[in-house]
Amino acid sequence: MPAVTVFGLGNILMADDGLGSYVIKVLEALYEFPPDVEVLDAGTPGLELSTILEDSGALIIVDTVRADGDPGTVKTYRREEILRHPPAQRITPHDPGLKETLLVLELQGETPPEVLVVGVVPGSVDYGVGLTDSVRDAVPDAVAAIVEELERLGHPALARDPPLAPDIWWEREP
Amino acid sequence: MARIVVDPVTRIEGHLRIDVEVTGGSVQKSWASGQMWRGIEVILQGRDPRDAWLFTQRFCGVCTTVHAITSVRAVENAIGLEVPLNAQYIRNLILIAHAMHDHIVHFYHLSALDWVDITSALQADPVATSRLAESLSPWPYNSVQSMRATKAKLESIVASGQLGIFANGYWGHPAMKLPPEVNLLAVNHYLQALDYQRKANQIVTILGSKTPNIQNLAVGGVANAINLDNQATLNMTKLYQIKDLFDEVLAFVQQVYIPDILAVGSLYPDWLGYGAGVKNYLAVPDLPLDTAGTQFDLPGGTIMNGDVSSVKPISRFGDEYFRDNVEESIAHSWYDGSDSRHPYDGETVPNYTDFQDDGKYSWVKSPRFAGEPMQVGPLSQILVGYAQGHELTVKWVDTALSELSSRTGVNVGVGHVQSTLGRHAARALRCAIIGDLALKHWGLLVENIGSGDTDIFNAPVFPRGEQRGFGYHEAPRGALSHWVVIENGKIKNYQAVVPTTWNASPRDAAGQIGPYEASLLGNPVADPERPLEVLRTVHSFDPCLACAIHTLDVEGNEIAKVRAL
Repeated sequence: MPAVTVFGLGNILMADDGLGSYVIKVLEALYEFPPDVEVLDAGTPGLELSTILEDSGALIIVDTVRADGDPGTVKTYRREEILRHPPAQRITPHDPGLKETLLVLELQGETPPEVLVVGVVPGSVDYGVGLTDSVRDAVPDAVAAIVEELERLGHPALARDPPLAPDIWWEREP
Repeated sequence: MARIVVDPVTRIEGHLRIDVEVTGGSVQKSWASGQMWRGIEVILQGRDPRDAWLFTQRFCGVCTTVHAITSVRAVENAIGLEVPLNAQYIRNLILIAHAMHDHIVHFYHLSALDWVDITSALQADPVATSRLAESLSPWPYNSVQSMRATKAKLESIVASGQLGIFANGYWGHPAMKLPPEVNLLAVNHYLQALDYQRKANQIVTILGSKTPNIQNLAVGGVANAINLDNQATLNMTKLYQIKDLFDEVLAFVQQVYIPDILAVGSLYPDWLGYGAGVKNYLAVPDLPLDTAGTQFDLPGGTIMNGDVSSVKPISRFGDEYFRDNVEESIAHSWYDGSDSRHPYDGETVPNYTDFQDDGKYSWVKSPRFAGEPMQVGPLSQILVGYAQGHELTVKWVDTALSELSSRTGVNVGVGHVQSTLGRHAARALRCAIIGDLALKHWGLLVENIGSGDTDIFNAPVFPRGEQRGFGYHEAPRGALSHWVVIENGKIKNYQAVVPTTWNASPRDAAGQIGPYEASLLGNPVADPERPLEVLRTVHSFDPCLACAIHTLDVEGNEIAKVRAL
C-alpha cells in the first residue's frame, strides 16, 4: 500500500480539463519518488476511483476546479472543504466522482486521513487537445504545491538531474 | 398537464436532460436530450491509426477499456488483420472483468436507491433481516452481526445530520414499497458490493497494467509478454490471482446480486409492466474464440417488435447485416442539415437552435437500424441469446422467470422482461453469464499457453490508398461500434456510435421517438416535484452520456435541477 498517492484527474481531449494528466507527466519528468509514493494519471473515473483511494495513505489530487478566480488561478483544498456540500442526485455513472468516492469510503470507515486537492481554474473546456496559455503557465505552481505537500508528509520527491522531457504524448503533432 | 424537466447541471457542460408531460398522473409525452456536443472524433483526424485507441479510451472515464478495445478492432477490421489467440482471450478477460465491475456498480451504487428507502431501513430488525437473507441465499456474510453493524452505521449518519453519500435521495416517497428488512438488507449489500466491484477492477489492473486507462493494447494484439516463469510478465502467479478474483466476484453475483434483484423485483411487480418502450433489440456478438473473429461465446443479432421468433443473427466481425443497416439521422439534433448518413460518411457540424419540442432539441444523433429505432443493452443481449437458444442464457433466464413467477403469483414470461424492471434483471443475469464465461476463457488461455503458444501480437501494415473498417463490442451498456476510414496510413474519418446514443436518441426524420422517450410513456408520476418514477426508468438503461469532463466543484453548485412547470 502506497503511503501517498498523487493522481491527476481530467480529460486530455477537453483542452484545460487535461491539466491533471499534464501535471502528472511534468512531475514524472522532473522528479523521482520514493518507492512508497505512487504517481498516476487517472483520467475521468467514476467509482473505479475507490480502487485507487482505498489502497492509499495520504492523497494529493490535481484537477481543474470550478471556483472564483481568473483562468490559471491555483487553489488548494482540504478534505472538509471538498465534502462540505452534499453530492447531487445520481443520473449517470460519472456522477460519483471524487466527492462521492470519498464519502463512500467514509461509510466503510476507510477514508484516507490526509487529502489535498491542488486545483487550477480552467479557461476553456471545449473539445480539443492542449492547454490554454494561462493554464499552462500555472503548471509550475501546481507542481510546486504537490512537491511541498510531499515534503510536509515526510515523503519528499527528489529532483532529477538533469530533468527529463515530459511525455505529453497527446500533444505531439500527428 | 404538468411539464417536468430533469436537468442535472453537475458539470460545466450539461449532460442528459429529460422532459416529460404528465396528465392524469402518467407520462403522455417525452423528450430525451443530450446537452453536450460530441465532436470528439474530430480530434482523431490525421492521426496514426495505431494510436487511435489511446485517444478513444479517453472518450469516457467509465468506459475506458470499452472504447480502447473497440478501436483496435475497427482498425484491425480495416486492414484485415487477425490477432493471436492469446490476445483475444486476454482482451476477453479484460472486457468481462470491466463489465462485471460496471454492472455491480450500476445496480447497487447508481440505481438501487431508486427502489430502496434508506430511512425505512432504520426501522428494520437486524435479526429478521439476517433470517430473511439466509432464506434467499447461501451467501455466508449475511449474519445478524453484519446487519446490526449496517443499521448502526445508518443511525450514526442520520444522527450526524449529514446524510453524506445518501443526501439527495427521494426518501419516504410514496412509490417506495419495500419492507424495512429488505431495505436494510439492500443497504448491507450496497456496502458489500463496494468490495466486489473493486475486486473485479483489480483484474483489469493486473491484465491492463493500469486502471482506469489500460496500457496493454496494440493494433494486432496485446502487449502482455507471456513467460510463466518470469516475475515481470504474465505468469502463473498472476493467472491464479486473476482466477481467484473471478471466483470471488462470480460468487457474489450468483449469491447476492441475482437473489437481490429477484427479491426486490418480486416486491415491485407493477414495474414488469412499465417502461418497455421500443421493442426492437440489437446486440453484437462478442468474446471471440478464434483469431479472425468468426466464432463467439456471446451471440449477436436483432429482434423486431418484441417478437423473439424474428431474430436475425449478427455472427462475425465485419458482418454485412450490421455494416449495411446502421445510419444516423440528425433531423432533430443540433447539427447542420436533416439527413441520415452512414457512419463512414458521418459529419459533426454543430448548429445549435435552443430546445425546440418539434424541431431540434439534442446533441445526440439518432442511430437507426434499417430505419428503425433500436434498444441496446443487457436486455437486448439476453433476448437475442435466448431467441437463438444460447445455452447459458436460456438456463439463467428460465431460472429467473420461474423464480419471479412463483414469488409474484403472476406467470412471468419473456414479455414481462421487456420492462423497466426487466432491464435490471437482464443486467444481473448477463453478469452471471459472462462470469461463467470468464472462467471458461481463463481456462482457454491457460491451456493455449500450456500448449507452447506465447504469441501476443501480429504487426499491422498500412497499404497506400483508402481502407474502411468497423469494430464492435457488446459493452456494459450495449452495442458499441467504431467506424474508421484510413487513407495512406492516416485516419481520414472516425465515428463512434455509442450505446447511449442508440437508447437516448431523439426523434428521427420520420418522427419516430427513441428508446428512452418511448419507455417513459405511461409511467406513473405520483409527485411532479419528485419524479422518482421517471428516474427509475431512465436509470434502468444505465445512461452514460456526457462522459468527458472532470471539473471538481467545491463551491457547492452541484445540484440536479428538477423543474415542475
